[in-house]
Amino acid sequence: MSARNPVMHLDLEWVSKVRVNTQAVLKRAQQIQGCKVAKKQWQAAWLLKAVTCIDLTTLAGDDTPSNVHRLCMKAAQPIRHDLLKSMDMHDKGITTAAVCVYPSRVADAVKSLKAANSSLPVASVATGFPAGQTPLKTRLEEVQMAVKDGASEIDIVINRTLALTGQWAALYDEIRQFREACGDAHMKTILAVGELGTFTNVYKASLVSMMAGSDFIKTSTGKESVNATYPVAIVMVRAIRDYYLRTGHKVGFKPAGGIRTAQESVVWLTLMKEELGDEWLSPYLFRLGASSLLTDIERQIYHYVTGRYPAYHELPMA
Amino acid sequence: MAGISTKTVHEIFQTMEYGSSSSSTATAQSWLEKHSRTLGFFIDGKFSSPADRQTQNVTDSKGVVCSTVCAKDEDVASAASSAAGGFKTWSELSCYQRAKVFLKLASVLQRHSQCVSELCELSQSSTSPAALIRLAQYYASWAQLRDTLMPEWTPQGVVAVVVSDDCSVYFLLLKVLPALSMGNVVIVVPGKSTTLPALLLAQLFMEAGIPAGVFNVVTGSEASLAAKVAQNPQVNYLTYSGCKQTGEAVAKATAGWGVPMTLSLSHNSVCPFIIFDSADLDSAVDGVIELAFKKKRDFQWVLFVQESVMDSVVARLKLRMAGMKCVSLVTETDRKLIDVVVQEAQQQGATLIQPCSPPSTGGLYPPTVLCGLAPSCESVISPPPGPVLPLISFRSSAEGVTLGNHSPHGQAASIWTEDLTLALESAKSLCLGSVWVNCHSVMDPALPLCGRRESGNCTDGGREGLYQFLRPSLSPSLPRSSPSSINYAAFGSAESKFMIPEGFDPSSVPRFYSQLVGGQLRKADSGCSRSVLAPGGAVLAHCPDGGRKDVRNAVEAAIKVQPGWIKKSPATRSQSLYSLAASLDKRRRDMAVSIQTQTGISFEEAEKEVELSISRLSDWAARCDKEQGGTPFPPQSGSALSTPEALGVLGVILPSSKPLLSLVSLLGAAVAMGNAVVMVPSEKYPLPALEFIQVLQASDIPAGLVSIITGGRDQLTQALANHSVIQSIWYWGSKEGCQFLQYSCISPLKRLWLHCEEEEEKEAGQNWACSNPSLQEELWRKAVVWKSIWIPTA
Repeated sequence: MSARNPVMHLDLEWVSKVRVNTQAVLKRAQQIQGCKVAKKQWQAAWLLKAVTCIDLTTLAGDDTPSNVHRLCMKAAQPIRHDLLKSMDMHDKGITTAAVCVYPSRVADAVKSLKAANSSLPVASVATGFPAGQTPLKTRLEEVQMAVKDGASEIDIVINRTLALTGQWAALYDEIRQFREACGDAHMKTILAVGELGTFTNVYKASLVSMMAGSDFIKTSTGKESVNATYPVAIVMVRAIRDYYLRTGHKVGFKPAGGIRTAQESVVWLTLMKEELGDEWLSPYLFRLGASSLLTDIERQIYHYVTGRYPAYHELPMA
Repeated sequence: MAGISTKTVHEIFQTMEYGSSSSSTATAQSWLEKHSRTLGFFIDGKFSSPADRQTQNVTDSKGVVCSTVCAKDEDVASAASSAAGGFKTWSELSCYQRAKVFLKLASVLQRHSQCVSELCELSQSSTSPAALIRLAQYYASWAQLRDTLMPEWTPQGVVAVVVSDDCSVYFLLLKVLPALSMGNVVIVVPGKSTTLPALLLAQLFMEAGIPAGVFNVVTGSEASLAAKVAQNPQVNYLTYSGCKQTGEAVAKATAGWGVPMTLSLSHNSVCPFIIFDSADLDSAVDGVIELAFKKKRDFQWVLFVQESVMDSVVARLKLRMAGMKCVSLVTETDRKLIDVVVQEAQQQGATLIQPCSPPSTGGLYPPTVLCGLAPSCESVISPPPGPVLPLISFRSSAEGVTLGNHSPHGQAASIWTEDLTLALESAKSLCLGSVWVNCHSVMDPALPLCGRRESGNCTDGGREGLYQFLRPSLSPSLPRSSPSSINYAAFGSAESKFMIPEGFDPSSVPRFYSQLVGGQLRKADSGCSRSVLAPGGAVLAHCPDGGRKDVRNAVEAAIKVQPGWIKKSPATRSQSLYSLAASLDKRRRDMAVSIQTQTGISFEEAEKEVELSISRLSDWAARCDKEQGGTPFPPQSGSALSTPEALGVLGVILPSSKPLLSLVSLLGAAVAMGNAVVMVPSEKYPLPALEFIQVLQASDIPAGLVSIITGGRDQLTQALANHSVIQSIWYWGSKEGCQFLQYSCISPLKRLWLHCEEEEEKEAGQNWACSNPSLQEELWRKAVVWKSIWIPTA
């Protein structure tokens, strides 16, 4: 991974100067959706890039070692080998970026991947996911547990109560403690944008999270009513850009929730390319949190290679 | 291209480039094939390409696309007679029937949108068909409502629409559709990039059921062809859209033919893009990136950034521009211009933001921002073509607005701030036609585009833009004339003469009047004077023989007092005008006597004129706080305002008919709308105006707002025409005077309202006594410019 974002001091003056013009952001989002990637091999290449940025996720109450095992295997071999081979991409290390599970399933995932000789990182959500409404003490313990079980990436959720009431200093302190608890594990901070009210709040929360040492900022848990939308993503990546311009540190971005189609994944890549540049088009600085997206991408790639649309049973399931 | 198409998935996977999506032009090509790649004129509902005409080739990057025919005199004549025939049919239709054609046109455009957009693309003027459909729908409703909402108005008749080579199809239709919707017929003289689309549109119009002869297209070399069209006696009005050079040539060639002409010169307009420190900087930078580095821009932009956020803006620009590719220039000669400008800017200490250094030669140039320029740099005064953007910093928000205003242009501005008060204050203080707050280049027919200064002298779009295609039903249509040979340089340069002693009987020495300059009674600056003669030839009085210096002094005073006059509340302005009416009422006898002695009419008639004048002034006093703009429905969610604003200083050469009534009618309109005015009484009947000076002085009208200068009409016309501060001239006078003004008021550009008195008198002329609302509406609309402010919200 790239150099980590060190913890900065909290600069409240910077936070207070934030201004976001909603309609201009919406317009920009439309513009980005209008950018077109050429067909054929361009589509295929972009979709494969999207695959390498996926945090393949299962966050369900009925997760058991067996479906977590299947998920890990799919993550290590996301696209059918023969399809990759016909594009000459079989030896280019196409895997998803990570698998993402609940803390209690981290050990299962680590075990499965180890057994399969895969070095794929295991990410775990933590800190009272998804609502974050548990005491700080247990939230911190949760992080420590997941790290101990072998998770090398932790997706924490912020305390929306603090963000909504403007207690930025308190929020900063909490996130700093999570960061310490993470140790060497990379920290992705989930802002739960659907519950922050305004774009300005999203921007401010992004800044505070980055100051407190987040390696990634992430849109949503996938459990709120509003998930990752392009406009809100634009606000967040602008905050990332702002942070980079001021501090020189590159923070990654992870949209999550509701991303299901291959077409959407291409738009997400376009958004990163347009707003932050090519450097952010890699799993080091960009992740897509998704579960069913991979199937659709595989279908599109199948179509590019064979010229036919596959039935679901022709592609291996996760 | 072969190299690109063989790229492997892995290569693309590493570079993550978009790949080029080449757009197909197959539909447009097959339309052109159907016409054997030769298109003639569109006259009387069909294509016609007469033999033995010169042809012109329309080319794109790959070679000749199509050839078109250059019109000769007889083609223009047949277009004009086709139009005259078409006008008869078109005006006999009901509003509903005309509106139906527009609605049909919208659906025809929809059906053929692929062909339209491809043909525009081929002609290097890409236009979105959706925008054209919106235009058709917008003007359909105006066609439907003309008689309901503008009952006292009549169409001009045959309208010539001329556009320059670089004008887009959108701007062409923004002239054509309102003209047609008001019941006019058009002869279109397209430029290079609109020739093919105009001919396609002609066919689509026919499909939409427009009667033959209503929409005509003649092609050729636009400036000389436009002159030929204007000279045709069937043409009633000419309106032009595009670049300044061609507009100037067209205007000069049509001077003296008695065709009123207006120009929209948006294409070369330099527009300020102002980023205040309270802006959403990222969105503002997005705006800059979107508009500045396109191959073809609607306007030229100069970027103004507040000093406190300069570094942040520059850093963002650098980051956003880093990945950008070179942009192809419209012509290879642009490259030389850019090189010269960039080099000069660098010598003056400018730094460049460029994603890569420019290729050594050829028609490509990288997006470039020139940082650290000053308003005096050549690249700011006339920004170069291509993807080059000058950037200037400013200290306070007030200074930003001042810098933005300090330009000979007045088309549009884009301002960026999240501070509502600052946005509205800046929008108000910017002296230009369109202000886009936190957005840019919003084009919609509901928002009027009204260029000021060098950016044009007419309003397009909105209800405001319809009046150029209408005249009050009661006012006579302008008679046509043919130009005389005038030495423009020598016009109005006759020397004033000093009086010689004539040994009068001391008991009957004629009274010596003074003129009113800057609120003071003055002699002429030259010291010369002239005699005022009674209809019988007897010397009634002497008046100053004013000249250029007097006009200069009057204008100096006017620009000092006019801003204060606008700042006053409309109610206060109204009270001042009422006091003028009251002051006239007090002197009604003196005024009647002076009208009687000057014109020789009966005392009763003279009294009647005074009575009418008092009531006319009261009309204008009442209108001061009644004529207002509106809130047009904007294209997306948000608020839009369209407000009338004063022109500034007006010059008026007064008619000799009804000398007092015409004076107060014109003065009332100009002053009520917030203008200052320099008036020149008619050479023949100056006495009532000289007498009126006392009325003015006894009223609350601020000193200097109205000046009255007597003297030779041609001399004073020349003086008014040559003062750049004067934004508009209303002229009643000779045919030669009209010709002179049409010829010389192009640069600097003024709004002209010309009347050839001798010709008009034959046809009874303007009826000043008539108080029809349309005549007053015409007057106040002539006395204002429009500003549209567009504030989008989410």
